[in-house]
Amino acid sequence: MTLLRRAGAPGALALAVLFSPGMTNAKPIAFAHGTTVMAEYGAGTMRELQVFYAPRYFLSTGLGHLALDSDIDERSRDITYARLNYLLKRWNMESAQANIFGWGSLASATTADDASGRFAWNAGAQLDYETRRIYSSLKSDYYSASTFSHRIDTLQLGVAPYEHDYATLATWFVVQARRYTGEIHEGTEWALLVRLFKRGAWIEAGPTTDGKLQAMFMLNF
Amino acid sequence: MPIRFALLVVASLASSLAGAETIEMKVNGLVCGFCAQGIEKTLRKNPATADVLVSLENRLVAVATKEGQDIPDGELRKALTASGYDVKSIQRTDTPLDALRERLKEHP
Repeated sequence: MTLLRRAGAPGALALAVLFSPGMTNAKPIAFAHGTTVMAEYGAGTMRELQVFYAPRYFLSTGLGHLALDSDIDERSRDITYARLNYLLKRWNMESAQANIFGWGSLASATTADDASGRFAWNAGAQLDYETRRIYSSLKSDYYSASTFSHRIDTLQLGVAPYEHDYATLATWFVVQARRYTGEIHEGTEWALLVRLFKRGAWIEAGPTTDGKLQAMFMLNF
Repeated sequence: MPIRFALLVVASLASSLAGAETIEMKVNGLVCGFCAQGIEKTLRKNPATADVLVSLENRLVAVATKEGQDIPDGELRKALTASGYDVKSIQRTDTPLDALRERLKEHP
C-alpha cells in the first residue's frame, strides 16, 4: 500500500507541506472556514495524514490515512478514512480554554494478509486544557474492522518557557505518553518533544525513549 | 432646559460613536495564536473592517473600522461567538489601531 508507507517520515511531512500553503493546531477543528492539514510520524509505529475543513467552529470533516507497523509481530495495517469531528463542549475562561472533541470515521482497511480493502470504522475523543504556559491533552482513538481492532491513547503535558502572543513564536516542551492495544506496540511509548508554532504553522519533534523520531507538522489556513 | 441638555448629550455621544475609529473587545478563551487566527479571519470579512489587532496578553481583539462606518455590537458578538469565543465587553475609542498596537508593544 500506501503512499504514506512508501514515503516514510520525511515524505509524510513533505506531503503535508504540499497539501497546504500555510500550517495548523493539534485540535481536529481549527476555526470556522479553516482548513487543517496534519502529518504525524509516530516513532516508526504509526504514520498519519489528515486534511480537514471546518464549515463551523464546532464541526469539521475530511479525509485521513493511518499506517501502522506492529513492532510485536511486524504486521502492517493501512486505514483510509472519511471523518467527522465535533466540538462537544468548550469552556472559554479568562486566561484558559478547555475542550472536549469527539469524532467518527468510516474507513477502508488493508492488512499484510488481506489487501482487499475491508470496511472499518473509527471513533475517538480528545480532552484538552491550555493556558499560555500550560498545555494538557488526552486523546483516545479506536479502530475496528472484521480482522482487527486497536486503540491508540495519547497523553500530552506541556509547559511554555514564556508566554507567546499572536505575532510571536510559541515554544513548548511537551512530554508525550502513548499506548497501543491490538498487538501494535508493547508498553508505553514516551517521547520528549519541542513544539514551535506561529500563526497557522506548527511543528513538533523529539525522540522517544527508544531513540526513535516522533514528529508532527500542522498547517491552518 | 433639561430636555435640551439631554438632547445635546445624546447628540454628542452619537457623534462620538459615529467618528469612532477603533472597537476594543475583551474576549475570554484567547490562549493561542490559532484562536487569534480564526477571529482575525472572521472579522476581516466584514466590509466595515479596515484592520484587526489581536493581543493574547491583553485578551483583546480590536477592530479599526473604515471611515464613517461602524459594526454594531450584535454583529461583533455574533462574529466572535461564531468563532467559538465569548465577548466580555465592547468599547469604542478614538485611538487609532496603529497607536494601540504601538502602546501594547511598549506596555503589554
